[in-house]
Amino acid sequence: MKRVAKPVFFIVAILIIALAVTSVFGVTTQHGDILTTRIKGVSDIRWGIDIKGGVEATFQPADGVTATEEQLEAAKSVIETRMVSNNITDYELYADQSANKIIVRFPWKEETTNYDPYEAIEEISATATLTFRPGNSYENTSYADDGSAVMTTPTGETAATVLLDGSNVKNAQAGVITDNGKTQYIVSLEFDDVGAKLFEQATTDYLNGTISIWMDDTLISYPTVRNVISDGKAQISGDFTAEEATALATKINAGALPFSLETVNAGSISPTLGANSLYAMGLAAVIALIIIAFFMIIVFRLPGFVAVIALLGQLSITIVAVSGYFPVFNSFTMTLPGIAGMILSIGMGVDANIITAERIKEELRNGKSVDSAINAGTKNSLSAIIDGNMTVIIVAVILILVFGPFNMLSFIFGLSTTGSIYAFGYTLLVGVISNFIMGIAAARLMLKSISGFKLMRNPKLYGGAKNEK
Amino acid sequence: MKNKVIDFYGKRKVFFGISMGLILIGIICNIIFGVTLDIQFSGGSMISYTYNGTIDENELKNLVQETTPNDQVSFSISKNLAGNNDQGEGYYFTIQFPGTAAIDAEVQSEISQALEAKFPDNNFEVSEFTSVDATMGAKFFVKCIAAVLLASILMVIYVTIRFKKIGGMSAGVMGLVALLHDMIIVYFVFVVFRMSIDSNFIAVILMILGYSLNDTIVIYDRVRENKAKMGPKAALVDVYNLSMMQCIRRTIFTSITTLVAISSVYVVCLVYNITSIQSFALPMMFGVVSGCYSSICIATPLWVLWQLKKKEKVGEV
Repeated sequence: MKRVAKPVFFIVAILIIALAVTSVFGVTTQHGDILTTRIKGVSDIRWGIDIKGGVEATFQPADGVTATEEQLEAAKSVIETRMVSNNITDYELYADQSANKIIVRFPWKEETTNYDPYEAIEEISATATLTFRPGNSYENTSYADDGSAVMTTPTGETAATVLLDGSNVKNAQAGVITDNGKTQYIVSLEFDDVGAKLFEQATTDYLNGTISIWMDDTLISYPTVRNVISDGKAQISGDFTAEEATALATKINAGALPFSLETVNAGSISPTLGANSLYAMGLAAVIALIIIAFFMIIVFRLPGFVAVIALLGQLSITIVAVSGYFPVFNSFTMTLPGIAGMILSIGMGVDANIITAERIKEELRNGKSVDSAINAGTKNSLSAIIDGNMTVIIVAVILILVFGPFNMLSFIFGLSTTGSIYAFGYTLLVGVISNFIMGIAAARLMLKSISGFKLMRNPKLYGGAKNEK
Repeated sequence: MKNKVIDFYGKRKVFFGISMGLILIGIICNIIFGVTLDIQFSGGSMISYTYNGTIDENELKNLVQETTPNDQVSFSISKNLAGNNDQGEGYYFTIQFPGTAAIDAEVQSEISQALEAKFPDNNFEVSEFTSVDATMGAKFFVKCIAAVLLASILMVIYVTIRFKKIGGMSAGVMGLVALLHDMIIVYFVFVVFRMSIDSNFIAVILMILGYSLNDTIVIYDRVRENKAKMGPKAALVDVYNLSMMQCIRRTIFTSITTLVAISSVYVVCLVYNITSIQSFALPMMFGVVSGCYSSICIATPLWVLWQLKKKEKVGEV
C-alpha cells in the first residue's frame, strides 16, 4: 500500500477542527472602535422568520395605478427574484388581485440591530435604476451616519442626459480589488452588445471628462474617463462596504419593477416559533452527533473514530456554505426545517464511512493484512459511494436550476422562483460535495496515515479478527 | 455467519404483500379522512385585527381555534407601529384560512365577538380582510412534478449507463418504483396523522427523492461486482442473495444513523412543543425506514424478477 505519512492524520484533523471552530464562532478583529467581521460564524447567519421574526409589508402600485393581473404577477416575481438572489429564501409572498396589492413577509437581515421595518423593506422594494450620466453636478448634499457626504438629485447636463442605464447591463458582480495596498470593494459590470457600443461612445465623447454613476437619485461615483472602453466592461468603485457592493450588484441584476411600488403599511412580525426553538435545534444536533459518534466508534472502532472527525468537517463546510464564511457573500436564510435537514445530513453523512469500514472488515475476514485490507476496502467501495451520491447530485442540481434564479423551465412555466426549494437543493448539493471532501478524501487520508502507527495496526481496531469464526 | 446466506429473493411475496397492505391502509385512510391543503397551496383568506396591550399569544390562538369550524387556520402577530395608545403597544393579529371558499360573514363575526368578549380591554378591531391567491398553486405543483420527472429520467439514464452489465434500464426503473413507493408511504403518513400538506411535505418528498435511490444503488453495485467475480454461469438469484447479504449491514447501519439524527430532532421538538418541525421529522422518520425497506425488499427483488422473466422469454432458464 502506498503509505501516507504519519503526521498527515494530525494535520488533517487540526485543519478540520480549525474550520469547525471558525465556522461556528467566526473571526472578528477590533480596530479602534470598529469591529470588523473577517469570517462569519453561526451568529452571522440570517435566520428565518420562524426563528428571529421579520417584516411584513403591503405594497401597492404608486400614484393610484391599478395594475393588471399580469403586471401584479410580474412585480411579484421581480420581488421574489430579488429576495432569492439576496439569499433570502424564507419568505411568504401573496398577491391580492382584487385589492391591487402585494403582501410580503421576510426575515430580518443578519445583524440587524434597530429593527426598522421601513429600512428592511428598502432591501427588496427599491427601484434601483442605475444610470450613467455626463458630468457630476448635483443639487443636494447630506451626510450619512458615518460622516461621509451623500450627493443626490442631478442637475444641468447631468440631469438632462442619460448615457446608458442598468437595462444595458448583462451581469453585475461584487468583487474586491487591492489599490495601493488598500482593499476596496467594487461592482464590476458587463454590458450587453448595445450597452458596450453606448459605453464606447460615451467614453469617446467624454474622454478626460467625468461620467457619473447614479443609483436612482443618489450619486455613487464619478470617475474620470482615462481611456475609451470598448470591451463592454466597467467597474464601479464608490467606498462600498462588502455588503453594499453585494447589494448593489444584486439590485442591478434583479431588474426593475414594472411600476413603482409604495408601501401601504409595514410592521414587524414576532417569531412564529418561540425563541427557544433555536436552542432546541442546537440541542437536537448535539444529541444526534453524540449518539452517532458513539455508534460509529463502538461499531467501527478506528475507522469510526476517523469518520466522526470527518463528520465534524462535513458539518463545518455546510455551515460555511450557509453563512457565506467571508463577509462578501450573502448569508443564506436558515429556517428551522433547514436546520432539521442539516441534522438529518449528519446521519446520512457517515454513509460513505460505513460503506468503507464494512468493506475493510470484510477484506480482513478474507484473511488480508491491515494494510492491504484498508487498501482494497477503500478501493472497492469507491464505485458504490460515487454511484450512490451521483443520483443525489442529479436531484440537487435539477432543483437549483428549476427553482432558483436560473429558471431552467421558464419557457414552460414563466419566470418564477421558489426560495425554499432552491435553498433545499443548494444545501443538498453542498452536503454531497462536503461529503466527498471530508467523508471520502479527508477520512481516507487520515485512515491511511493513522494506520502507519504500530499501535494502530491491530485488526481488532478495524473490527476484523473478532468476527472471525 | 460468513457462510449463511438468507434467501431474500424467496421471501419476495411476503415483502410485496406488506407494502401492498400498507398502501391499502393508506388509501382507506385517505378516503375516510381526506387531505387538507395549507394556505400556500390552496389560497384562502386572511383577517387582520388590530389590538393594544399585551395578550398571551397561546390564549389568543386557542380562542380562535375553538371558534372556527375550520381546523387548519394559522396565525401571526405583528407589531403595529402606528397603533400605540394609552392601552399599550399596538399589534396586528392575522388569521389565515386556507381554502378557496371565502370565510362567511357569520364565522367572521363570531370570531370578532369572541375576541371582544374575552379581551374587552384590548380594543380588537377588524383592520383588513384579504383574499389571497395560492402562492404555490396548481402551476407550482405542475412545476414540481416536471422537476421530479426530469430528475427521474436523468437518474434512470445514469443508472442505465453505469449498470449496463446487469441490465441497467431495468435496474433504474425498479429503483424508481421503490422511490415512488417511499413517496406514497410519506404521503400516507401525512394523511394518517391528519397533517395538512404544506411546505414540509414538499421538503420531505424532495429529501426522499435524494435519499431513496442511494440505498438501492449500493446493492446494485455489489451485484455488479459479484457478477463479474462469479462469472456468467452463476445463477442470478444466488448472486443477488449473496450481494444482499454483504450489503445489508451497511444499509441498516446507515438507516440507523439517519434515523437517530431525525429522531433526536423529533424528540427534542416534542419536548419543546415545536409542532412545525414535528410535521417534518415524523414523516421523514417513516421515509427513512421505508427507503431502507424498499431498496432491500422492493426494488432489487423486482429487478431479479424482471431479469428472470426476460431470460425465460429468450429461452435460457
